[in-house]
Formats: sequence, C-alpha cells, structure tokens
Amino acid sequence: MNNKFDALKDDDSGDHDQDQGSPKDGEKEKNEDEEKEQNTSKKKMVVPGAGEHPLQYNYTFWYSRRTPGRPASTQSYEQNIKQIGSFASVEQFWRFYSHMIRPGDLTGHSDFHLFKEGIKPMWEDDANKMGGKWIIRLRKGLASRCWENLILAMLGEQFMVGEEICGAVVSVRFQEDIISIWNKTASDQATTARIRDTLRRVLNLPPNTIMEYKTHTDSIKAWEDFHGLVNASGGR
Amino acid sequence: MSTSRQLSESRAIPTKTVLINDTTQLPHDYCTTPGGTLFSTTPGGTRIIYDRKFLLDRRNSPIAQTPPAHLPVIPGVTSLNVLTENQKNEANNHVNNHDGKPTTGDDAQFEMDI
Repeated sequence: MNNKFDALKDDDSGDHDQDQGSPKDGEKEKNEDEEKEQNTSKKKMVVPGAGEHPLQYNYTFWYSRRTPGRPASTQSYEQNIKQIGSFASVEQFWRFYSHMIRPGDLTGHSDFHLFKEGIKPMWEDDANKMGGKWIIRLRKGLASRCWENLILAMLGEQFMVGEEICGAVVSVRFQEDIISIWNKTASDQATTARIRDTLRRVLNLPPNTIMEYKTHTDSIKAWEDFHGLVNASGGR
Repeated sequence: MSTSRQLSESRAIPTKTVLINDTTQLPHDYCTTPGGTLFSTTPGGTRIIYDRKFLLDRRNSPIAQTPPAHLPVIPGVTSLNVLTENQKNEANNHVNNHDGKPTTGDDAQFEMDI
C-alpha cells in the first residue's frame, strides 16, 4: 500500500476489540457513485438563515456503522461513513440534532461525528494528519448527555484554542461508549491542556473518569500492530 | 457646582494575593463573564461564543423545528419526528401502547456552571 493511512481507515477510537470490520451494512442497494457524491463536499454553501444565530464555523454531521465480526479490510473507510448534513447557525443545528436519534439509543457499532465543514472525520485529512484526540470512555447510560454537552461546548466556542478544534465523535460500542474531541496539532501542549480543562468543566463527568490523549499517529501504529501489518523489522 | 464638600478618607483598594500552583486551584467561576467562557485570552481574535444555556434556549424556536431539507433517511438514526429528551419514546409509545413513562436510560442532568 502506498500510503500508511490507507490501512487505518477502519479504526474506531483506538478500540482493539474483535469487531474491526467495514462492511457496507444496510447500504448494499446503493450504488457506489451515489455514495461518493454524497460524501464529497457539497457544492452549495451553507449560510445562516434570516433571524438565525450564526456559528463561528459551519459544521457537518456524519454517521458510520459497522457490523461486528467482519474481518478487517482495506476497503475504503470513506465508503463506510455518510454525511447527514451541514449547518451554519444555532437553529440549523437544532433542526438536525432534533431529528437524530440520541447516541444512547443507537444500536450496534455506530458513531456520530461532528466536524468543521471541509474537514473529513478521518486521520488522513490534512487537518487531522498532525493531530490527536482526547478520548473519554463512558459506561452505558452517559453518552447522550455527554455528547450533547460536548457538542454544545464546541459549537459555542467554549474551548478557546483558536482554529485547533477539528471535531467531535461519539462511538457506541458493546459495553461502553466513547466520546472524543479531535484537534489539529497533537504536539501543542498548551492547546491540549486547555481542551482538557474545558472538557472537565463542561462535561460534568463521573468522578474517576479517565481522559486520555492519543495522537492519530499513535493510533495508526497501534492499529497496524493489532492487524499484523507490520513485520518484525518494522516493514510491510 | 461645587459647594462645600468633605473629602472622605482615601484608601487603597483592598486586595488579597493568593498563590496557586496549578489551574485546578482556580475558583470555579474565575474570569467568567455572563454568557462567556473561562478563558481570558481569545486566541484567534473575537469569536462568536454561546454558552450552553443560550444554545438550549434556541431549541424551541419555530425555525429550529422543521426537519432540515434533504435529511437522509437512516432508520434508527434519523427521524422526521422531532426527538427531544422528553419525547424520545413518544413514537414508540404510540406504536406499542406503552405507558408514557419518561426514559430512565440516562442519568439525570444537573445544573452546571457554564
């Protein structure tokens, strides 16, 4: 493979559980062209409507789901993730959010992603290549509330780290849920510390909740090791 | 117009210096402004900032109710019915004739100082 990122599009928030797969679950009837068109950037500009409250950035909701048990494949992660829509104002956000199932009610191995417009929720996007994420593992029952508080803080510019925020993800898994927030520069410790402090303040997490910062590069290495893609000498 | 006036005794503004070693020692509301953020610096210049309460209050405005145009229909993920915290089981209740019991799946929200 030409690009080490190609192999890694299946990763899900650093989990190394058995169900690393990427089937086109429920989408077999769609042809590939239609999917590609939906997932390329929309040409139409999203703007706040009259009387609406603009956001600092436009954002896009994405959804992805995998059937557990499928073997890992190098099938494009890009085909597995679907745009729900983009918004530019507070009111437009609510129109989407109010018509989406809350994460706590999602079934299966599913994720919602909320990323700034133009940034794909994938490591290999330019904005994410040098970046990383804070991840918080939650027991069942907390994801809906925490996701809502996380995205309200992100949309409301509570993190105060300039352009660094890329987006947020909520991952519904078998016995736990994971929320994460991605930023552009993993090595910028002032930024990652500030994000951590804001997370503590806005999420109201149970005591003893652990927050972990992972660079995407480290996640890539871990995924490679797990899937045996790197041989003893470190080559492929 | 100046009339006879008494000068009050002048004093320095009383202050207290507290040494802290870590950001965890900051008071919970340090440097907050109503509707603002914890941070006193604004990297990247003036930004559009909304606190949580403000965002939640916009939820019920009429323009926030209609489904977005071209909302993809993904069963179990998107819905053309408005889903709110209180209503999330409403669709199920109609279909299944359950009691209108509010869901207890999530821990209760409690007030935060944002």
